[in-house]
Amino acid sequence: MSNVLRQHAEQLFIEELEELKKQDTEKRPYTWQLSPQAVVTYLMGGRLNNGFEVQPKYIGSRRLIEIAVATLTTDRALLLYGLPGTAKSWVSEHLAAAISGDSTLIVQGTAGTGEEAIRYGWNYARLLAEGPSEKALVETPVMRAMQTGKIARIEELTRISADVQDTLITILSEKILPVPELNTAVMAQKGFNIIATANNRDKGVNDLSSALKRRFNTVILPVPDSIEEEIDIVKRRVESYEKVMELPVERPALEEIRRIVTIFRELRNGVTADGKTKIKVPSGTLSTAEAISVVNNGLAMAAYFGDGQLKADDLAAGIIGAVLKDPVQDKLVWQEYLETVVKTREDWKDIYRACRDL
Amino acid sequence: MSIHVLGIRHHGPGSARNVKEYLERIKPDIVLVEGPPDADGILEWAGNEQLVPPVAILVYQPEAPQKAVFYPFAEFSPEWQAILYARRNKIPVRFMDLPMAHQFELKATREPKIDAEEAPSLNNTLAPHIPDARTVKYNPIAYLAGAAGFDDEEKWWEHMFEYRQDPQDVFTAIAEGIQALRQDLRLPYDREEQLREAHMRKTIRQAEREMFTEIAVICGAWHAPALINMPKAKDDNDLLKGLPKVKVGTTWIPWTYNRLSYSSGYGAGINSPGWYEHIWRYPNDDGSRWMSRVASLFRGQQKDISVAHVLEAVRLSSALAALRRLHKPGLEELNEATLSVLCNGEDFMMQLINSELIVSDRIGEVPSDIPRPPLQTDIEKQQKRLRLPQTADFKDYVLDLRKETDLERSILLHRLDMLGIQWGERFGASGKGTFKEQWRLQWDPSFSIEIIEKGSWGNTVEEASSQYVQHQARTSTSLKEIVTLLETAIPAELHAAVEVLIQQVNNLAAATGDVMQLMTVIPGLVQISRYGNVRKTDASLVENITGGMITRICISLPAACISIADDAATELLDLIYSMNDAILVLQEPELTNRWQQTLFQIAHNDSTAPIIGGYATRLLADHRQVTGNELVKAFSYAMSSATSPAISAAWLEGFLKGSGTLLLVDNDLWTVVYNWMHHLEEDAFKQLLPLLRRTFSNFSKAERRKLGEKAKGGVTGNAGIHQQGADNIDVERALKGVPVVLKMLGIK
Repeated sequence: MSNVLRQHAEQLFIEELEELKKQDTEKRPYTWQLSPQAVVTYLMGGRLNNGFEVQPKYIGSRRLIEIAVATLTTDRALLLYGLPGTAKSWVSEHLAAAISGDSTLIVQGTAGTGEEAIRYGWNYARLLAEGPSEKALVETPVMRAMQTGKIARIEELTRISADVQDTLITILSEKILPVPELNTAVMAQKGFNIIATANNRDKGVNDLSSALKRRFNTVILPVPDSIEEEIDIVKRRVESYEKVMELPVERPALEEIRRIVTIFRELRNGVTADGKTKIKVPSGTLSTAEAISVVNNGLAMAAYFGDGQLKADDLAAGIIGAVLKDPVQDKLVWQEYLETVVKTREDWKDIYRACRDL
Repeated sequence: MSIHVLGIRHHGPGSARNVKEYLERIKPDIVLVEGPPDADGILEWAGNEQLVPPVAILVYQPEAPQKAVFYPFAEFSPEWQAILYARRNKIPVRFMDLPMAHQFELKATREPKIDAEEAPSLNNTLAPHIPDARTVKYNPIAYLAGAAGFDDEEKWWEHMFEYRQDPQDVFTAIAEGIQALRQDLRLPYDREEQLREAHMRKTIRQAEREMFTEIAVICGAWHAPALINMPKAKDDNDLLKGLPKVKVGTTWIPWTYNRLSYSSGYGAGINSPGWYEHIWRYPNDDGSRWMSRVASLFRGQQKDISVAHVLEAVRLSSALAALRRLHKPGLEELNEATLSVLCNGEDFMMQLINSELIVSDRIGEVPSDIPRPPLQTDIEKQQKRLRLPQTADFKDYVLDLRKETDLERSILLHRLDMLGIQWGERFGASGKGTFKEQWRLQWDPSFSIEIIEKGSWGNTVEEASSQYVQHQARTSTSLKEIVTLLETAIPAELHAAVEVLIQQVNNLAAATGDVMQLMTVIPGLVQISRYGNVRKTDASLVENITGGMITRICISLPAACISIADDAATELLDLIYSMNDAILVLQEPELTNRWQQTLFQIAHNDSTAPIIGGYATRLLADHRQVTGNELVKAFSYAMSSATSPAISAAWLEGFLKGSGTLLLVDNDLWTVVYNWMHHLEEDAFKQLLPLLRRTFSNFSKAERRKLGEKAKGGVTGNAGIHQQGADNIDVERALKGVPVVLKMLGIK
């Protein structure tokens, strides 16, 4: 096993991808490594004809993934939109891995992302010494994806300032990246496309211009529908985390995960699971991803500071940290929830005590 | 000689196309269609230019019209296409299902209540649900769909048969598939099902006997195998022997797409009539035409959609179809593409597409000379005359009752309302004045049942509504119900019924001992007498009984105000309030006088509930019956320290009820309260303060602020209110305004 903390998807699941490639009999578009059907299978999981089991990567609606994959076969780019922690980047990484065999062509969007991070930059030493030349050009992931006909990923597209976002318009509509300094242009090879992700519940985002919006097909990734689905997601991700971190701890009981997910869902939806009691909603998003990290955190606590078994005490700090994003208002919300909901549940006494004592 | 059994899905556009093509190829000399033979007589209307689908055959029992079933047909219904083919080619067409005359009776013996909505032969578009508790509700077709790798049987059927371009052998395939299902699934014995299939076979045999050579049979896919493999004729005849029978009537009625859809609770409904119509009309559409319609709908809603958007959406839907190994994008793919490309992933616009395009609001038409109940003919005649068309979508009308046509429209709507045909819904008209009415009209095909049912009361709207109301008046024992009826009957101008109603009101009023019930109806009656003038109706009849009733109330009210609980007192207080309003509206000196005396009695009885006592005193002050020193005396008496604080507080609350503003402008009232407070000893004031607070807290914030300002100014309160002096009036100029004011008041 390598010592890399987190491997790229295409390496981590290399066996599955190879197997899918072998079994894949459908037509592959352009430079795609797999057929669209096989890409969907890779993401949603399933059993291949020879009995090989493919792990599900995304747990949720198959239709959404189908729309996403179908979009990438057309010449429109894909925009994955949703709350933080709804597996947007995760889906985008796996799509790129399955389609291009390469999920590393990535631009992380921030308020400081400039044009040179998306189009191309210059090696200034060379530029001064030799003047503008191909050699002095510094390629970006987008440019490389265009040259090789692969999928480029842009994370947090809406964080990039609006004028920089618009540099994507020519790339997406004409599939060309002009380099006026050299009087040339990079022509996109077949198979090139962009997957962008964006948040819809965040401060300081720049809405896409309608010209750019038109180049994207939007797929909104929702929070999980049912509690079972969410528990499943948390369980799978926690297990893979355990493997990577090599924690000397017993596997978390399903019951613990269920309680965490219940707390998160109730606070997120503003109503108890039985639909009877209304609850105030805290300011944080309380996504599935956060539930996963709370459980992971609890596991680490149990392993190094506890008795090796995941208990309410190990989880309490994590839960409170996830819920209390605003020290004043969220605290009231949390206390109300603790006193009116958690306290009344007979078998939740330990969690109540652990949270109250903190 | 040969029999061609075509198994179809009800309202399936692909099935319809296949049936049409198949019939044109084999050229049958008779067509048999799954449907009620009771309606064979009205089949000749099919093909008439004015019979425009969606329409339905209504089968009803003239004796009990609520027991009725509909057989709806859309343009894309295979049955409709088969019937049309037969009519076009002048060959006989017959229905072959078990006659409703029998089915009604069978149903009645099996279950006491029958749902008027559900046509039994169309229980499900494809096949009956297996009514077995263990297998839950499972459509047998789902087995076939599951075997083909689909999770939804409707979708499987759609892609297998409805979207299919090449109809070769499709009917043989369907029959074989269903045959396998019927053999392998052990379905519980269903007598009705057996009877229906037996009758279908009987009809086929009958056609054979009549020497028809090419017989085309159109039936639900589920029945196809049962009609291909014929058992012995004797078995069927034995089964059908001695069935009970009732008399039924049939007619064509217009239908709507909305009623055809699942969401309106119709058993054999389809999700998307609008979409089906689209694929019926444009079978080769690859989605471009549909997307253009979506785009133009969006543009109509001020949402910018470019041609490129449409293009991209069509492309995405095709890519999705390819990904799902479908040969053509279905509605699902198109919707997903719309959502992703046109709506940026937000689904609120999808609602619009659903109601406007996928379901759509089409309503059918029925020729005017079709035989139908006389009441319906009358309604349609009046609708045409008054230009109030039946529409599937709602339409708003503002009626100006001073105009002849609008008045007649209003009368018609009120009359239909009285008959229980809720075509129009009344809204409070904006703007003041009683000559305006606002209505929202939306026609519902199920009114046909109501019309047939109410047809027993008369052949015209006027006659039927009048008779029906009189019947209700005679049987009802609730005063309130009768007065509500009266309120509608007067604008409906049903004079005979009004007289009966008034008489009934009088009778009931005399009999009732409940003064509160009487008081509840008074405002309504007063409303009527006011309304009467605008309506050119003689309202004096109502005024007479109002007088009588008010007298009755005045007699028993004082006793009713004694020893009652707090909440009852509050309720009574509201009634007294509206009663007082009504008296003021009536402006009958005699009645006003009597009312004042009653109030006086109430106010001066110590046992009256204090809140009512206080209010009665206030009303008397408003009527100028108790003024000056009298008022001060009454006030101080009630507020004296000997009475317990709770009682004084209640009295004060009643006295000042809703009068924050009144206290501001009525200087007499102000003076009384001000002086009383001014003379209070300090200790007494402290004691009373909480009570005052309680009363004043009911006033609005602005009122309280102004009261405070006024209190600064002392007794006269001039600091708050500047009264206009009435001294310097320029008489000449004032006279010029008088005609205008008179005109505004309606006095010529």
